[in-house]
Amino acid sequence: MKKNLFLILVVLVLALTLSSCSGRTLTASGWSGLTADEETAYLAAGPQIYAINLKNGSLKWVYPAEATNGISFYADPVLTEDGQLIIGGYDGVLYSLDPANGSENWVYEKATSQYVGSPLVTSEGIFAPSADNNIYAVSLQGEELWEPFSTEDPVWAQPCTIEGSDYIYVASMDHKVYAINSKTGAKVWETEDLGGPIVSAPAIDNNVLYVSTFANEVLAIDIETHSILWQFQVQDWAWASPAVDGDLLYVSDLAGGFYALNKETGDQLWQIIPGGGIVSAPLIVDENIYFGTAEGSFIVVDADGNIQQNTPLEGKLYSHIVATENVILVAPSENENALLIGFDPSGIQKWSFAPEK
Amino acid sequence: MWDLFISLMINILLYIYNLIGQNFGWAIIIFTILTRVVLYPLTARQMKSSKGMQELQESKKWKDIQEKYKGDKEKLSQKQIEIYKEMGINPLGSCLPTLLQFPIIIGLYQAIIRTLAVTPLQLVNLSKHITDGANLIPINNHFLWMELSNPERLQIFGFGVPVLAIIVAITSYLQSKMITTTTGSGGNDQSAQMNKMMQLYMPLFMGYLALTYASGLAVYFVASNLASIGQYALMGQVDLKKLIPSKLLPSKSSQNAPKK
Repeated sequence: MKKNLFLILVVLVLALTLSSCSGRTLTASGWSGLTADEETAYLAAGPQIYAINLKNGSLKWVYPAEATNGISFYADPVLTEDGQLIIGGYDGVLYSLDPANGSENWVYEKATSQYVGSPLVTSEGIFAPSADNNIYAVSLQGEELWEPFSTEDPVWAQPCTIEGSDYIYVASMDHKVYAINSKTGAKVWETEDLGGPIVSAPAIDNNVLYVSTFANEVLAIDIETHSILWQFQVQDWAWASPAVDGDLLYVSDLAGGFYALNKETGDQLWQIIPGGGIVSAPLIVDENIYFGTAEGSFIVVDADGNIQQNTPLEGKLYSHIVATENVILVAPSENENALLIGFDPSGIQKWSFAPEK
Repeated sequence: MWDLFISLMINILLYIYNLIGQNFGWAIIIFTILTRVVLYPLTARQMKSSKGMQELQESKKWKDIQEKYKGDKEKLSQKQIEIYKEMGINPLGSCLPTLLQFPIIIGLYQAIIRTLAVTPLQLVNLSKHITDGANLIPINNHFLWMELSNPERLQIFGFGVPVLAIIVAITSYLQSKMITTTTGSGGNDQSAQMNKMMQLYMPLFMGYLALTYASGLAVYFVASNLASIGQYALMGQVDLKKLIPSKLLPSKSSQNAPKK
């Protein structure tokens, strides 16, 4: 009996050791997605989506009511003008919820892999990038508009467009950017191989696309000619979307470098390295630029590159920062005590939210 | 230190992947075989020590002292140590090479899983290991009928059959059955029973892992098992008779019995 017990223990220990190395994680596989209106923050954090009151951080509703095995959410939810909350799940389903109470309007279930990036929502419809290499186009009622547009590798980046344009621009992990006719789904043009995957949405300004790539580069691409205007070398993979503010372009890399460039020429104006890789686009509010780092620092810099605030938080800051009129929202990963923290504009913490265990 | 080691393995894996035309399944197989080749001196030493131990345990001298001091464990172990010294055998000689191989095999295992990154967090983690080769990302994870980052099922008449998991269990069983050194009558009953149990449970456990986890791992398991059997066969250490249940083999007494 004792021998059998010993053997069972040996097999169990071995099982746990190998399982822990197998790469199948019981923890999150992404970081929280976040959006907000004037009263509510919508946080996609693993198995559930939470609607959180911005005044005090209290929970308004949660979807689904019970966490279900196989369903999880990490893409940023998107609020539409006709009052829907659209979010793609890791189960390959695109969900439309009622932002008021979290009830389900419709679902679109054609994708065969997860939605990592957020959909682009325009008056024409919803354009959702999927890890099954496709862009799905559905109406605001959840009906398919055109046959999915295929690239050669997963699409994690949110598509972008210019208001009033018939084209949407899609950056793919196949190293290319595509222009697609939003009415028909037909390809208008594609770039050459840009040297590395693109996982974040391009920034778009004055007919120029600014694209971050894993080839340690940020590129400016002319929308008319789809030619490369300039390339800027960073120190590591450029993951986060660039952000345009006036004549400046802010870019970053996984080595922790944060750069201000002249958007016309790509010349570097200044650089800071606050520590920790940067994966989310900066948020620009008035004179301040907000971003988070993988070391858990919530950074505020001014337009000259002077660090105004560096708040260390528990966990890592991969999710992008969202601001409403009175609250700045930060969603840390690997934080035991909070999924979302609300700061006032002066940087003082107002509340934090963690779901009941 | 461990991270540096994993980084080295990931970069070698990516180098092979690029060299052979970006096929990750073949990269896993080639890397597994190369690792076996690199570990050959350790395997050979382990085998030599195991053989020495086996011969010692079957020797008359060993059996005699087992019998003589069976009531006095302290004296028995003292005498055993003397015999070890006399015959120049290190009782840990067969364990130490195995222990040294273990981190390398675990490292290879982790390198495969980390390189197959399919989620944002996995990709952020992978970026810390890659020195050059962002142009190879994302990894082409299609191999035969499999997607190497997902559990494998072959669709046969509308049913998803876990073919690779079955192959993993069978090759694990064959490997353990064919290359486990048998302990002679002078051997320890407890370790013999443990060997038997492991021969049964380990293939089932490996099959379960192959069934549940990314099929890239299952490819590694099959390649590793077959490489191991091949390696032992080249060294003349594979005994096909061990595959046949002893009940089906004619016993020595019946072989010697006079024909009626």
